[in-house]
Amino acid sequence: MKDSRRLLLDSLKEHAITGDTSYPAYSHPDTGITDLRRSFQSVIESVGGECRFVADPEAARKHVTGSQVFLTAKQVCSYVKEIAEGNFDAETKAAAQQCADVDLTIVRGELGVAENGAVWVNADPLRHRALLFLPGNLILVVEGRNIVPDMESAYARIDFTRLRSGYFISGPSKTADIEQCLVIGAHGAKSLLVLVVG
Amino acid sequence: MKSHSRLAAAFLKQEERAHWHDQALWYVREKRDRMAASVPDWEALRETAQAIKRHALANLPRYLEEFERNAAARGAIVHYALDAAEHNRIVFEILNGRNARLVAKSKSMLSEECGLNEFLDRNGVEVVETDLAERIIQLAGERPSHIVLPSIHIRKEEVGDIFHEHLGTERGESDPIRLTRAARTHLREKFLAAEAGVSGVNFAVAETGAVVICTNEGNADLGNSLPDLYIAVMGVEKVIPKTRDLSVFLRLLSRSATGQPISAYTSHLLGSRPGQEMHIVIVDNGRSEILRREPFHKAAFCIRCGACLNTCPVYRRSGGHSYNYVIPGPIGTILAMHRDLKKYKDMPYASTLCGSCTAVCPVKIDIHRQIVLWRNEVVEAGYLGRAKSAALKTATLGMKSTRLFRTGGWALRKLLRVLPPFVFNNRLTVWGKSRDLPKMPAQSFRAEYRAYSRRLTNGSRSGMNREGQS
Repeated sequence: MKDSRRLLLDSLKEHAITGDTSYPAYSHPDTGITDLRRSFQSVIESVGGECRFVADPEAARKHVTGSQVFLTAKQVCSYVKEIAEGNFDAETKAAAQQCADVDLTIVRGELGVAENGAVWVNADPLRHRALLFLPGNLILVVEGRNIVPDMESAYARIDFTRLRSGYFISGPSKTADIEQCLVIGAHGAKSLLVLVVG
Repeated sequence: MKSHSRLAAAFLKQEERAHWHDQALWYVREKRDRMAASVPDWEALRETAQAIKRHALANLPRYLEEFERNAAARGAIVHYALDAAEHNRIVFEILNGRNARLVAKSKSMLSEECGLNEFLDRNGVEVVETDLAERIIQLAGERPSHIVLPSIHIRKEEVGDIFHEHLGTERGESDPIRLTRAARTHLREKFLAAEAGVSGVNFAVAETGAVVICTNEGNADLGNSLPDLYIAVMGVEKVIPKTRDLSVFLRLLSRSATGQPISAYTSHLLGSRPGQEMHIVIVDNGRSEILRREPFHKAAFCIRCGACLNTCPVYRRSGGHSYNYVIPGPIGTILAMHRDLKKYKDMPYASTLCGSCTAVCPVKIDIHRQIVLWRNEVVEAGYLGRAKSAALKTATLGMKSTRLFRTGGWALRKLLRVLPPFVFNNRLTVWGKSRDLPKMPAQSFRAEYRAYSRRLTNGSRSGMNREGQS
């Protein structure tokens, strides 16, 4: 008796799809965006996040350490030490559940996408990827030169060969499941700051 | 089983709610329109998306094997299930093997289709839906009424009652922010205690073995990143060839679904994380049959955005629960018919055939055309019902004979002017339920047209071009 895998794959060989079934040629979309930074910022703000441009890491440090979110956070987990020191070392924790009370995570974003305000975060440097979703507040630090116009440009720059998990994060978590009222802060972060350095 | 029209009538009895439902969904449709209009190449993008689907689905065995190979190389364990029962059994065996009794589950229409929750519940596994809407539905003991907005039919006061009963919120609380916060606290406990996470899949990339999941709440990510056991369940049609194809589908999906530029979280999971076991269950459950069925195979292109529901004048005014299939609305109709022509025979008639569904579909499925073709199948199979069949047979007779048609028209024009209204507006004529007949014209269209042509011919003598007047 053949196993389900073989039966399933065999049954998919026959199909009714007609016409041109070749892989289509397509290229970068025309997003119509001229000012990448302004578009990036305005989309993030339209989805409930905050986006700040700072000249250098020193200015970023000043902005973060002076912010209400940082000052009121009891547990801060930082992976961008030159911008802010954390007081919670998640790398020493064996289980992700031990990070449940972190209030703020600061982590690098590798890319920013101008068309939709999404930031690409490679979670592999984090022992616990849950740190991106558990805390009430998230700060993503992106270098100014890494803002790309569209998703296609973004994917062209991401190396998937050794990646285990990566996320496009656009704004804080949200839901409109109760009568279509938008509520910021569902299960993940309630606030998101994207800091563009340089 | 009650028919769509009966269930719709029940929904419409609560006028205020029905109106709200209609307006709320139209608002989402308008957001979608604004987002689509902001993308210069929107139509070309839809074409490309369909071409990628056509290519991927025509080469599914190859891409599934490539996906399996790459996912397995990164440590994921891949399973294949021919049908719902096998899917449920596999998921249960994985859970049971690790002694997992509490599952944090993220929204998956596939698992709804397979009845996974009920199956696990019967086998002693507690499944907690973690998407807010799904949790509301689960606590209320209902099923989703929309594929993207599952609790769109429930009002905030009712959510308040449900949460008061199950989560202990204050009686009468109906503030969406406070209710959402209560759900966050309640579900956070479940996330931290869960022994396994289960979620659906939006896209599976053959080239890398990546599973891609789009959510706004972040629930799928907590379900993946906390427990040491994670199971992703997907239909065979979710696989796409290359990473760059994601750029096409992601540009379309959220814009079409909720009018967002992209969902808050788009997660790419490539194999298990250290210390975790990751399983991927690939399910057919009728999809291969859809793909083999000309001219209906395009139903398998669907990326489950729900745009056709939001735009459908019938869906908006009748509610998702008026459709008997697990997926309601236009796309639900053309999927249900593959499942059981007889059982869902009323669904193709829950349509005005206006074509709005086809116009908004991000992968350009010809939904309304398929609905017409399914009506043919229903008639051919003899499932139409005696009254409707008789009416259609009479109509066919009249339409076939010029003389009968003319005489009939003449007689009706005279008779309906003098007959009392109850002849049309009675219990037996469903068309008369909420409509009156229009005023009868003095003469037939044919006679009107003859007079019109005569006027034109006379006019053309004074230099008018008859051809250009049509």
